[in-house]
Amino acid sequence: MGFGTGSAARFAGAGALFLFLCWQHVEATRLGYRVEAARRETMSRRGRVAALRVELDERLSPEQVAARAERLGLVPAAPDALRRLPETSGDAAPLGGLTRILTRGFAPLVAATRS
Amino acid sequence: MDLGLRLTVAAGFALLPLPVLGLRLADLQVLRHGALQTRASGEFDRVAEEAAPRADILDREGRVLARSVPTWSCFADKAMVKDPAAFAAKLAPVLGVSARELEGRVRAANRFAWLKTGMTAEQSEAIKNARVDGVGVVPVQERVYPNGDLARGVLGLVGAEGKGLAGAELTLDKRLRGAPRRFELIRDGAGHSIYKSIADDGRVPDPIRLTIDRNVQYLAEEALSEAAAKSAFKSGFAAVQDPQTGEILAMAAWPPNPLKNPLVQDAYEPGSVFKVVTALSGLDEGVVRPDDVFYGENGRYEITPGVVITDHEGAGDMTLGEILAKSSNIGISKVVERIGAQRFYRMCRAFGFGAKTGLPLPGETAGELKPLSDLTKVGLASSSYGYNLQVSAAQTLDAYSAIANGGTLWEPKLIVDGKPPVKVRRIAAETSVRTLAGMLEGVVDAGTGETARIPGYRVAGKTGTAHKVDPVTHKYSPTAYTASFVGFLPVSAPRWTILVVLNEPKGAYYGAQTAAPIFAKIGKRLLVLGGVAPDKPADASLATARLR
Repeated sequence: MGFGTGSAARFAGAGALFLFLCWQHVEATRLGYRVEAARRETMSRRGRVAALRVELDERLSPEQVAARAERLGLVPAAPDALRRLPETSGDAAPLGGLTRILTRGFAPLVAATRS
Repeated sequence: MDLGLRLTVAAGFALLPLPVLGLRLADLQVLRHGALQTRASGEFDRVAEEAAPRADILDREGRVLARSVPTWSCFADKAMVKDPAAFAAKLAPVLGVSARELEGRVRAANRFAWLKTGMTAEQSEAIKNARVDGVGVVPVQERVYPNGDLARGVLGLVGAEGKGLAGAELTLDKRLRGAPRRFELIRDGAGHSIYKSIADDGRVPDPIRLTIDRNVQYLAEEALSEAAAKSAFKSGFAAVQDPQTGEILAMAAWPPNPLKNPLVQDAYEPGSVFKVVTALSGLDEGVVRPDDVFYGENGRYEITPGVVITDHEGAGDMTLGEILAKSSNIGISKVVERIGAQRFYRMCRAFGFGAKTGLPLPGETAGELKPLSDLTKVGLASSSYGYNLQVSAAQTLDAYSAIANGGTLWEPKLIVDGKPPVKVRRIAAETSVRTLAGMLEGVVDAGTGETARIPGYRVAGKTGTAHKVDPVTHKYSPTAYTASFVGFLPVSAPRWTILVVLNEPKGAYYGAQTAAPIFAKIGKRLLVLGGVAPDKPADASLATARLR
């Protein structure tokens, strides 16, 4: 009975497999560290995003908008101070004098029917 | 020695320890497997939990009213702290809390003490990096309300453990709470975590959208708080509803209190705002016609010997419209005499008084409607003008919405769920309701509700001023009142029903003097917000501007 080339090759193959399994285990552990670190990072960033969203919501809250508007000297309009007229195209030619007078004259009727 | 022999010897030496190792392996893996695995799991394996965020609460346009934000809380385990002074000195700069305060907290604790809550991720990492024995950091979900106190009576409150304690946070708690995500981790020798697998994916609940409109809510709260600053009243509340669907757009209370929503929890005697029920009962049953005349007894009417009903202003003959416009108690008492207790009671029930509206908020009151047997001549008369019974603001708002939309009582809605509004019942024939709505417009145009007028717009509503019962004497107090105004606008196509109720106003106490101006203020701002064109073109003084 001897230890031939074939047996040596099998022995080397088994050794290589063992080494591969060791490497795989080490790699899995290393990836486990990285996944955990990434999870913590995600949590941290998610927290930051949520905090920023809240800050944005706070800045857009009616109370803060009203306070900023007041600082700018804006006051709430009375409902009868403005009249919403039918929309006209932005690039339309300027209205002629007669058209302007007619539009102004009929505006209250038009506005009243829109409600 | 040939190569084969040499390899065999080398292999033999290499394999020599194998039987010993095999025996040891069998001992560890087979004989002592269970005990060793339990010990290893205890030392190295653990399950980490990522607290699930509570669902957002949004307004009808999807704007955030309540949101959960991940934060970190830091605690001390006193058993592991050897020297509290040194412990506090190390942590103070990291936590931004004075060393003295930290030391005090640790010394005062039995074993566990919170050191700081609401920390950012960076602060949490800084604490871990400081490597101080006896300190721990846990992630928690903090509930924040980006609009401050806005709609807090509706939203309610969440406790430290993430459970709803009041308001929608309480009633919708199950829908708002998520399930935490769980991870299996392994700890290495240095205590670092190694991710292993997900044990439970958890559940992040979908946001809940309320029918509340953030801007409308703000306008209602602003009008109330401004009125509170100008004239003193003990408390007050205002609500806005879409009369075409029953959706609640705003529920404001002053002073704000997240633990209580007086609009659904408080019952009160409504006073003259209840006269609409009597009036509609008469109109719908065909017992009273709009041009029928009732004698006002010049302001003093002895209904039975010893029981006198008075009006704040003496009057002679009045039609039903004039009775409402002048808010005559005598006039409406005579109307209800003609209607009778049974018909009146039926109309009260049809409006939904005496029953809960079904709003998904805790502690809703059904109010109190006296049984038919209690409606004697005097009891019926006092009920006709809103005494001898109790209502909630939500019921009153709903009732006026039914008048505004032509007679359909909708179930008030607070949650946008994609389902159509629920019709409770038709309260009366549309013609009767339209006639009553016209009379309520007269109240604002030429009656007690003139202070609710809005130039350019048709407004309908009713004032109310009711004596409060003194809790000590159990008699009506001569000085404490409930003042209210309820109405809707624009009358041509009602979009908003607005209710304002003030509890114990000081000085001027009539609903017309106190609540109606608040109604007008809210109404004006809503008309601008909604871009509603005037529906009263007869009003001159209308400026024109082009909005681009």
